[in-house]
Amino acid sequence: MEITTTGLGLAARVQQLTKTFGSGDGAVRALEDVSVGIRRGEFTAIMGPSGSGKSTLMHVMAGLDAATSGRAWIGDTEITGLGDRELTLLRRRRVGFVFQAFNLVPTLDVMGNIRLPFDLDGRAPSALEKARVERLIETLGLAQRLRHRPHELSGGQQQRVAIARALATAPDLVFADEPTGNLDSRSGREVLALLRAASAEHGQSIAMVTHDPVAASHADRVLFLGDGRLTADMPRQTAEQISAHMLAADAAGVAA
Amino acid sequence: MGASIVVAAISSAFGAVLIITITFLGAMLRANPFLGGSHTLAFVLSFIGFVLAGVAVYVGAIVTANTFATIVAGRTRRIALMRLIGATAQSQRREVASQGLIVGAIGAVAGLLAGTGVGAIGTQVAQRMLHLDGLSFALVQPLLLLPAVAVTLTTWAAAWVGSRPVLTVTPLEALGGSVSASRAEIALRRGRHLAAVALFIVGGMLLALGVAVGLYSPLGVVVAFGGGILSFTGLALGSTLVMPPALRLVGRMFGGSAAATMASQNALRYPERSSRMTIGVVMGVTLVTMFAVATACMKAIMAAAAGGRMPPPMASVMDSFANIMMGLVGVSAVIAAVGLVNLLTIGIVQRRRELGLLRALGLSSGQIRQMVLLEAAHITVTALISGLVLGSLYGWVAAQSLLGSVSAHAGGTAGAGLVAPVIPLVPVLVVAGATGILTLVAAAVPTRLATRVSPVEALAG
Repeated sequence: MEITTTGLGLAARVQQLTKTFGSGDGAVRALEDVSVGIRRGEFTAIMGPSGSGKSTLMHVMAGLDAATSGRAWIGDTEITGLGDRELTLLRRRRVGFVFQAFNLVPTLDVMGNIRLPFDLDGRAPSALEKARVERLIETLGLAQRLRHRPHELSGGQQQRVAIARALATAPDLVFADEPTGNLDSRSGREVLALLRAASAEHGQSIAMVTHDPVAASHADRVLFLGDGRLTADMPRQTAEQISAHMLAADAAGVAA
Repeated sequence: MGASIVVAAISSAFGAVLIITITFLGAMLRANPFLGGSHTLAFVLSFIGFVLAGVAVYVGAIVTANTFATIVAGRTRRIALMRLIGATAQSQRREVASQGLIVGAIGAVAGLLAGTGVGAIGTQVAQRMLHLDGLSFALVQPLLLLPAVAVTLTTWAAAWVGSRPVLTVTPLEALGGSVSASRAEIALRRGRHLAAVALFIVGGMLLALGVAVGLYSPLGVVVAFGGGILSFTGLALGSTLVMPPALRLVGRMFGGSAAATMASQNALRYPERSSRMTIGVVMGVTLVTMFAVATACMKAIMAAAAGGRMPPPMASVMDSFANIMMGLVGVSAVIAAVGLVNLLTIGIVQRRRELGLLRALGLSSGQIRQMVLLEAAHITVTALISGLVLGSLYGWVAAQSLLGSVSAHAGGTAGAGLVAPVIPLVPVLVVAGATGILTLVAAAVPTRLATRVSPVEALAG
C-alpha cells in the first residue's frame, strides 16, 4: 500500500518530476528529476535565479501544466495524467492562486472577485465559508471596498483581494507566484506578513515562488532550485543568509 | 484584414446585384399588363434599391471602421516602437489608412465581378422560371460601377476613421504595457450625442408628418422616408447613448451564473465597439421587419379598400417583391456577422491574460464556451428586439404614409383613416431564427480561440 501525501504530513508533492519543453536539439530541461513535498501548515519559499525552473515546478504542482515524466499529488489526489476537466475542478476547489499581476477580473467588483471560485462552481458559499470570507475581509481591511472595481484599487489592495480569494475556499495549498514583484516595499511587506499569518495562525499551507531574498526570509522553509534541480532545502533563513547562499551558488555555477 | 476585403466584396457585389435586380424588376413590371407604365412604382423601386445598397455600404463601413480600430489596437506595440524611433503619428495613421484604400479597391472589384456574374445567372434563371424570355433589359450598364466606387471610398474613409487611435499611441508604450481606459473616451463625445438626439427628434417629427400627409397623398412616403433616414442616422450616431442601457437590460435576462455575468460585463467593457456592432445588426433586422410589416399593412389597407379581399395577382406580386427585398437585405446581416466575429475575436485576443487567470482559477472549457456564446447572444438578442420594434414602427409608417389616402377613403380600421399595424408572424420568426443561427456561427471561431488559451502562457507573456 502506498503511503499517502497527507500521511507524510504534506499538502502537495512531486516524485522524480521531469519537465522538458520542445524536442530534439532545441529541447530545454526545465526540471530534472525533482522530488520534494510542501509541508502542511507551512509557508514554503521556492527560490532560484531565472531559468532555475521554480515557476515550472509551481505550474506542475498546481495542476496548470503536465509533467513530462514523474508523479505529482495535490493532497491525496494524484494529478499525474489527470484530464483537463478534472484538473480545472481541482484548481477551482482545492488550490488558491496569487499571481504577481493580473490577479483580478477587471469587470467584477471586489466581492465578485473574492467569491469567484464559488460562482464558478455554481454554488453559494456555506455558512462556514461565508463566515470565513467575512473574517478574511475584516482581517485584510477590505470592508470599505467591496463594491469597488480593481482599477480603483492600489496594487497592494489588489493583492489583498487576491489573497482573500485564494484563502476563501480553504484550499489544500496556496500558490503565490512572486506576489510582491509589482509592489512597493511597504505594500510588499504587508502582503508577506498576511501570508505568514495565514500560515502560522490558521494552518494554511502556502508555497511561494520568488527570487527576492527578503520575501523568502518570511518563510518557514526555503527550497533552492538551480538549473532544474533541487540544490538546497533549508529551514527559516534571514535575507542575508539567503543572499549569501544564492551568490555562492551563482559563483559555483560560473566556476563549474 | 481579410475580413475587410470580404466585407468590401460583399457590399460591392450586393450593390451590383441590386442594380441588376432593380433593372430586371423594372423591365418585368413594364412588361406586366397590370402594372406596366406605372412611374411611381419604377421610382419607388429605384429609391428602395439605392436605400438597400446604401445600407449595405453603411453597415460595411461600420464593420470596416471597427476592424481597423482593432487592427490598430493589436499593433500598438509596433506603432509605439516606430514612434519611439521617430516616425510621426500622422505618417503611421496614413500607413494604416492607405491599407484601407487597397483593401477597399480589391474587395470592390472582386465584388463587382462576382455580383455581375450572380446577376447574370440569376436573371437568366428568373426569365426561364417566369416565362419572360425575350424581356429587354441591359445587364451591363455604367451604373454598375457606382457601388464599387462607393464601397472603395467608404472603406477608405472607414479605415481613416478607424485608424484615429493611432494618434493616441505614445512612444512610451513601446517600453511597457498599458491598460486602455475605455469609458473615458466616451465622455468626449458630447457634440456627437447632441447631434444624434437632434437628428432623431427631427426625424421623428418628419415621420409623424409623413403619416399625416399620407392621409391625403401618397407623397407622404417621401416625407416619411426622409424622417426614417434622419431618425435612423440619429440612432446610429447616438448608438453609444442608446445601446449600453439596452445591452445591460438584456444582460440581466441571461441569469446570474459566473459565465453569464462575465459575458454581459464584457459587452459593456468597450461600449463604443459593442454599440456600433449592435447597430449594424439592428439595421439588418429593422429593414427586413420593415418590409414585412409594410407589406402586411399595405395589404390590409388595400384589402379594406377593395371591400375585404385583395386581388390575388396583386397580392402575389407584392409578396414576391417583398420577399426578394428581404432576401437582399439579408446580405447586410451577413456583413454584420463578419463584423460580429471580428469583435468577439478581438475581445478574446485582448483578454488573453484574463482568460489565463480564469482558467487557472478553475473556469472550465464548457463555461468558456457558454461565456463566448452569451457574449455573442448579448449583442444579437439586443439587436433583434430593437430591430423588431424599430422595423415594425418604420414599416407601419411606410404603409400608412404611402396608402393612407386609400385607407382614409375606406374609413380605415383604426379610426381617423389610420390602419392598425399588422405584424406578420412568419417573417418575424424567420428573422429570429436567422439571428439565432448568426449567433451560433459568429461564436464558433472565437470559442475555439478562447478554449485554447493555456493559463501558463497567458499569464507569463
